Amino acid sequence: MEKIKLNETPVRTSRNFNINNIKLENIKIPQEIGKFENTKITGQNSKINIQENKNDCNLTYGIGEVLVNQIKENSNKDMKIIIDSKTNKELKIEFNLDEKNINLLENIKIVANENTKSTIILKYTSKDNIEGYHNGIIKVLAKEDSEINIMIINLLNEKTSNFISIENVAEKQSKIKYTIIDFGGKHSITNYYSNLEGHQSENKISTIYLGKNTQTFDMNYICELMGQSANIDIDVQGALKNSSKKHFKGTIDFKKGCKRAKGNENESCMLLSDTAKSLALPMLLCSEEDVEGNHSSSAGKIGEKELFYITSRGFTIKEAMKLMVRAKFNKILETIKNEEIKSEIVNEISKRLD
Amino acid sequence: MSKHKINEIDRNIYDIKNKDEYDFKIEKGLTREIIEEISKQKNDPVWMRKFRIKALEVYNKLELPTWGPDISELNMNEIATYVKPKTKLSNSWEDVPEDIKNTFDKLGIPEAEKKSLAGVGAQYDSEVVYHSMKEDLIKQGVIYTDMETAVTEYPDLVKEHFMKCVPVHDHKFVALHGAVWSGGSFVYVPKGVKVDIPLQSYFRLNSPESGQFEHTLIIVDEGASLHFIEGCSAPKYNKVNLHAGCVELYVKDNAYLRYSTIENWSKNMLNLNTKKAIVGKNAQVDWVTGSFGSKISMLYPMSVLNGEGAKTEFTGISFAGMGQNLDNGFKVIHNAEHTSSVINAKSISKGGGKCTYRSLVRINENAKNSKASVSCESLMLDDISVSDTIPVNDIRTDDVEFSHEAKIGKISDKTIFYLMSRGLSEEDAKAMIVRGFAYPTSKELPVEYAVEMNNLIDLELEGAIG
Repeated sequence: MEKIKLNETPVRTSRNFNINNIKLENIKIPQEIGKFENTKITGQNSKINIQENKNDCNLTYGIGEVLVNQIKENSNKDMKIIIDSKTNKELKIEFNLDEKNINLLENIKIVANENTKSTIILKYTSKDNIEGYHNGIIKVLAKEDSEINIMIINLLNEKTSNFISIENVAEKQSKIKYTIIDFGGKHSITNYYSNLEGHQSENKISTIYLGKNTQTFDMNYICELMGQSANIDIDVQGALKNSSKKHFKGTIDFKKGCKRAKGNENESCMLLSDTAKSLALPMLLCSEEDVEGNHSSSAGKIGEKELFYITSRGFTIKEAMKLMVRAKFNKILETIKNEEIKSEIVNEISKRLD
Repeated sequence: MSKHKINEIDRNIYDIKNKDEYDFKIEKGLTREIIEEISKQKNDPVWMRKFRIKALEVYNKLELPTWGPDISELNMNEIATYVKPKTKLSNSWEDVPEDIKNTFDKLGIPEAEKKSLAGVGAQYDSEVVYHSMKEDLIKQGVIYTDMETAVTEYPDLVKEHFMKCVPVHDHKFVALHGAVWSGGSFVYVPKGVKVDIPLQSYFRLNSPESGQFEHTLIIVDEGASLHFIEGCSAPKYNKVNLHAGCVELYVKDNAYLRYSTIENWSKNMLNLNTKKAIVGKNAQVDWVTGSFGSKISMLYPMSVLNGEGAKTEFTGISFAGMGQNLDNGFKVIHNAEHTSSVINAKSISKGGGKCTYRSLVRINENAKNSKASVSCESLMLDDISVSDTIPVNDIRTDDVEFSHEAKIGKISDKTIFYLMSRGLSEEDAKAMIVRGFAYPTSKELPVEYAVEMNNLIDLELEGAIG
């Protein structure tokens, strides 16, 4: 059992605000990792090729030294995914934690070669009764003119610890799009860093989180704009039930020289209980004059008028609440092309709101 | 579009230096002996002397902030914390020594007093040298005096409120303030009394390598109202000066207080000031702040909305030029039902200056049906400046309406083009846009101070854009 400090913000603010990092107590960091063999891969072909990925887990930020080092030393799933497809091919990797595969430490590197298009789906599930442990690194290099869509679906149970460090480098005119569905984990801690070094490079992040019981979500998104006309768009939509809580730290950092760059950040939290807690730090850092940066953040409960309207049409309060949450997430859900995945997520939302 | 090199600005009247003359100047540094000597010089009662010593102990235990601008150049061993000017407190400008009176004349204080103020306090270095208030307010029971007089003449009121709103443990510079405070104003507005014309305190620091640590304590009793204006300036020296004042505002049930500040410290000043208001049931405190001076500023006024239906509004602008790092913002704690807060913060950076907006909005579990709205805009006037926005939004209950929005960017080329097509030069067009950007703050100030703020903006813009 340990107490660890994770997800430091790139710029500190007053310690009394309790947001510079997250301190987790009673964390079980497993020493004996074992093998992880419950992985299902679909869509692999000559244009999306998986190789072994060793010794490439150095990160600019990362979730925290202890956990990054743990992967360096003990990862049990290493993959280097090389993309050469010119049409949008889909690769789906499912990691299923169970009694025999209780710890997952994956180190994934994705290289989208020039002028390629691809979709990578990474799905994490766990059996209901296990106390699993997931700690992963995902590194993405989007080469010139490439387009890559990455979906991360966290459907782990509420007993499992979930840690993930993401790092992206976007070269000239490349596009990186993330859709993150963050539902599972006793605590789900995400560190996301993007370096938009290429001119006209783009990064879009759409996140949905849904907390219940005592779940804790800590998201630390850091996006540095370096290339001219680079563009970042962060959209985080969430709902919190019971005594769940969320910390969102979003940093858009306009570095000197990123002329005509644009950055938008929108974070919105629906509070479904009077004991749920939302803490947000949407930062804009700017060292370049010729940019446009916007952020907005909001929190509140479901509108009473809307709730009244829906219930007056014969729905119960619970059904109305589900509809409202679903409506809130809809803008992001509609961008998911894979109907099977979309349907699974919609069902999961319904299940978690019961 | 071409840009000029930015020159050092002529701050004319603000940079007038008088000879460093004083009645008494404490040796530099911060020791128990120094604190005891300050206390002796000020004829403190025993409780205040003990309070200062305790605050020093807290100061020695606390760490410097691990965030914000780098203040490592501050060396307390190089700062004299108490400078007693060569005059006594007076209620007539005629009795104030010529050079000090001339300084305040040039700053327009006696003139403003005649035209538009109900009372004035003027502090020079560590002591208040002039204080007066209109007769009719005295008759209504309003107290407006320097803080030292309040300690002796209104001990119960002072003891009940002094550093209770801002406890010395809050941070290191509050503890420092508690140990070395000197000067400042005390205001008490009795129940139901409406002070229609503003009171103003002006703080002038003349002595080099010294600090100003004035304490402002304002109590607006139930159903009363007040507009208080605070101004501050200092001439520029080569070495660092320190300002670590403290403002404590008690706005009781159904009362109203507007606290306006035009801060124009010199650009060798570290402005590490603390301001906080405790707001009662259905009461309101409004903050209006124009922050132009200082080398480094760390200033985050705070409203604690303790009473049901309490409200607060913050309207502020920071303007950072060459060599300045202004880390300003606002904090609000919603601590009761049906409370509301509105924050409008703006910043302008130019000439390599850095502006940071740093804030906290916390809506506690007990603050059901509360509303908070934050709007934050930053304007960059060149590509060598920096502008950061670091807001924390901490929402701890569901029955709230909270929204926050922020924008950052340069002056729109389209807008400049539009104004130029109407006959304005590019420079005039940009200056007009900047003044328009600052308008939400200047319109909240009394007209004389809005003019002063616009003059300051013009001064700051001179040679900065084009």
